[in-house]
Amino acid sequence: MTRRPRLLKLTALLFGLAVVATSCADDAPQTTLKPKGPKADTINDLINPIFGIAAVVFVLIMGGALYVAYRFRAKDDTDFDDFPEQVHGNFTLEIGWTILPALILLIVGVFTVVTVFDLAKKPPPEALQVEIIGQQWWWEYRYDIDGDGTYEEIITANDLVIPEDREISLHIKSRDVIHSWWAPALNGKRDAVPGRTHPLTIQADRPGEYIGQCTEFCGLSHAEMRIKVVALTKDEFDGWAQTQQVPFENPTDERAQAGWSAFAGQCTSCHRITGMTDPASGGDDLASADAPFEYPEALDQVSGAAPNLTKFMSRSTFAGAKFDLRKDTPECRALGENWAYTEEGLERCLNRTDLEAWLRNPPAEKAMAAGEAAAPDSRGMPNLNLSEDQIDDLVAFLITLK
Amino acid sequence: MSTTDGPLALGTGGALTTRPMGVFARPGEAKGWRSWVTTVDHKRIGIMYGAAALFFFLIGGIEALLIRLQLAAPDGKLLSADLYNQVFTMHGTTMIFLVVMPIGAAFMNYLMPLQIGARDVAFPRLNAFSFWCFLGGGIVLNSSWLLGGGADGGWFMYAPNSGVIFSPTHGIDFWNMGLLITGIASLVGAINLITTVLNMRAPGMTLMKMPVFTWMSLVTQFLLLFAIPVLTAAQFLLMFDRLFDARFFDVSAGADPLLWEHLFWIFGHPEVYIMILPAFGVISEIIPVFARKPIFGYPFMVFSGIAIGFMGWGVWAHHMFASGIGPISVAAFSVSTMFIAVPTGVKILNWLATMWGGKLRFSAPMMYSIGLVTMFTIGGLSGVTHAVSPADTQQTDTYYIVAHFHYVLFGGALFGFIGGWYFWWPKVFGYALNDRAGKINFWILLVGFNLTFGPMHILGLQGMPRRVYTYRDGYGFNLWNLVSTIGAFLIAVSFLYFFWNIYSSRRQARALVKVKGQRLTTLGDPWDGRSLEWMVPSPTPVHNFDVIPTVTVLDEFWHRKYGEDENGRLVRIAATEEVSQKGDALGVHLPSPSYWPLVLAFGLPWIAYGLIYNLWFCVFGGLIVVAGMYGWVMEPSSEPGDHHDDHPHTEPHPSDASGETAATTEEAALVD
Repeated sequence: MTRRPRLLKLTALLFGLAVVATSCADDAPQTTLKPKGPKADTINDLINPIFGIAAVVFVLIMGGALYVAYRFRAKDDTDFDDFPEQVHGNFTLEIGWTILPALILLIVGVFTVVTVFDLAKKPPPEALQVEIIGQQWWWEYRYDIDGDGTYEEIITANDLVIPEDREISLHIKSRDVIHSWWAPALNGKRDAVPGRTHPLTIQADRPGEYIGQCTEFCGLSHAEMRIKVVALTKDEFDGWAQTQQVPFENPTDERAQAGWSAFAGQCTSCHRITGMTDPASGGDDLASADAPFEYPEALDQVSGAAPNLTKFMSRSTFAGAKFDLRKDTPECRALGENWAYTEEGLERCLNRTDLEAWLRNPPAEKAMAAGEAAAPDSRGMPNLNLSEDQIDDLVAFLITLK
Repeated sequence: MSTTDGPLALGTGGALTTRPMGVFARPGEAKGWRSWVTTVDHKRIGIMYGAAALFFFLIGGIEALLIRLQLAAPDGKLLSADLYNQVFTMHGTTMIFLVVMPIGAAFMNYLMPLQIGARDVAFPRLNAFSFWCFLGGGIVLNSSWLLGGGADGGWFMYAPNSGVIFSPTHGIDFWNMGLLITGIASLVGAINLITTVLNMRAPGMTLMKMPVFTWMSLVTQFLLLFAIPVLTAAQFLLMFDRLFDARFFDVSAGADPLLWEHLFWIFGHPEVYIMILPAFGVISEIIPVFARKPIFGYPFMVFSGIAIGFMGWGVWAHHMFASGIGPISVAAFSVSTMFIAVPTGVKILNWLATMWGGKLRFSAPMMYSIGLVTMFTIGGLSGVTHAVSPADTQQTDTYYIVAHFHYVLFGGALFGFIGGWYFWWPKVFGYALNDRAGKINFWILLVGFNLTFGPMHILGLQGMPRRVYTYRDGYGFNLWNLVSTIGAFLIAVSFLYFFWNIYSSRRQARALVKVKGQRLTTLGDPWDGRSLEWMVPSPTPVHNFDVIPTVTVLDEFWHRKYGEDENGRLVRIAATEEVSQKGDALGVHLPSPSYWPLVLAFGLPWIAYGLIYNLWFCVFGGLIVVAGMYGWVMEPSSEPGDHHDDHPHTEPHPSDASGETAATTEEAALVD
């Protein structure tokens, strides 16, 4: 019997490897096993013991099956010919193994129901209210900073910036098909269903970035409809919120002004920049162009709306969070804590390659059903056939949006 | 009693024309392709279901391998996003509707009439019609690959993503039409098989003397009877939305997309049991034979199956825990879902208890059955972890779910079915598959299966979503996806080996199964079987039973072979040959072959293509359907002079050793 301990060791080794492979949080930023907020903690506290129970049942049934198969094997054909005792059943035993699992499941059920209602509790009034709108294939975030019930103070996309240690009350909607918003470290997922508003509460224990992605199949680029939650300290968040609400200023640089014109001519049928006016009118005196943009109330199941680009440069990603806006290299980080927001950081670390490629031919960069040109039913950014000059102008304009 | 005059007393053969429509001569071939396309024999229809399912399995399997190749490494470039979405949609749809369901139908069609001692199903022509509808639907569905691309909305086809705005190609229309037609097949089959079980059991076979497989078939058919219409209704809404500008799922017109989700899963969850219960039935037949013990707790096995059937209707919304249906619904469906694990657990433990104390012989069918018990247990346990709805909001739509349902449907249903193939192959084809190759086949499949789907548990818990055509480096997904891809190819190898085994076993068809150290002269009962199908020669004669046996106990055939001696010891009381039938009865009146089921079914795809392309095709298809119906109605279900041989009016076969009288010889079909 020298083989068996070796087999045991091997099994233990494999099991250990599997555990190591699953628990390296750094390797798996989207893991469900490392909660970083109280809601996700609640879920894990419920499921971990149940995984334990399941593991015990697993070992019992597997072990039982192997034991039975080994112990009662027929040695040879003649042995098989001998009749075993013809047992037709055992009522007590069977009632027993009907009731016992039912009892275990009853206990599991009670804890589950309690947790369901616990997680569904309405967040306190001081929670930060954020509206999330899913759309093929990016997420829009609208903040109600002043608590007046309207989500218009900040309109942003891709990065959901939140303060640490504060409950965030999310109101999840969709503008076209069903999506599902999910940042596993903070809470379970919740579907974004057109025509409905679904609540979800998240809270991050610590500042940091929490990765997620859309988890309800939503068409072509479902795989690239990514989510990033950026939790900041309270002060940082207040600073961010303030910056976001600083009114748009017309660019002064010549190149950027050209970009501003190009933007007004090419992009504003879908994109908005809050407070932006038409440069053709000579600046800020044209009232009609100054009217705040509103997305259609009705969910007409076609896109037509694109990310609001106000304070574009304060984001870390673009194109539905598919691309990083900045190259996060050691050299860039060496520029200081706020490197991403300094002139130098922008100059040296802007992900100009991908940004220009995106402007040059978006459908080549991300699977979309954009059509030939911007149209009411196009989904995703079409190829606008911009010239290289226009692209340079636009980039020069975009980097002023900070 | 004469065996020739049917209850309908249609007169003698000469009095009735054999060309009721003046179009076709009534087919009478017993061999050749024409005999297959006109057959109404439940056994041939069963074989055709199995063959068609294996063909679709190749297609679905190639799609699976494409998926795994795409995901073998991050940023896969093999398939575009668009093509990948089509491939995974068609993989799921094909495997569910065109593989697992028809394999179940193959077993039920072939075996269930034999197990209840019937000569055919209640409505033999409807049975043929079911098969041709299934085949037609499968062809319509897959023809999309040649006509502009497959459906791209996922097998669950959630609205509004399935709408024409979001999926402007015809892929989803083909999906919709194909499944509407296979739905007809399922519904007609359900009525047919339910009627058969309820009305055509051999004398003495009360419901509680039916083999467990027949019981599970009955429950499955009731599930189909009630589930398919819900899907059909939902698909009609989708069809009108897509083809005729209706607005059932148009949110801007006030629709709620959750309507589709509810309708789909009210069908979709019983569907899971439609796929697994026949496999449960299969291994409930296999394990007692190879343990040499009766099934442990027959009533519990039957009632747990029925309980699963009933409870299966109260759990559908566990597919929607993240869809925002509110905490009360979520809590209720969590609890109901957990409790469906109870009857399933009873089954697992009863199978183990059947093995307990037995004399286990590990032939290939037994290996696959134990494979089902263990692999399904894994799927069942992961199932309980997502019945815990808060946890499910982390798990749903990740690879954890993909792992779960492959353990249930592949590790469960398919393992059971493959075991069933090895078990009943001699009965169906008259030669056994090589058992040693079957065991090698099993181990390759088991390893490949676990390598493919085991790592998906980890991937899912690490946050890898389903239905993504690509994933990034740095998320911890690389290693396990690669392992999974390797495993998928191992599964492919095991199936190639299985096909090779069929080929080579067929070549050595004369090599008989060794039982108890001696070669049997007949393959009628190669495993020392228990139920009535082993009583007839292999392959089953066209009329099934020379004489319909009278049933007194569960496992009737086994009890004819074995009984207690005067000391109460279990001994053999009759040689297998003595209690088996010879298959040489003459003058048994059987339903006659017919063209009309094929004609009627042939009209349906025309209507489907017509709805998609040009309504004139519908007129043409409709005319075929009407002509088919007319011909069908005008044709007697069986020609009075038609017997399975050329000797009408022969005296009935002498009674067999078990003492039944020839008076039990009767019409195979009651009505048609």
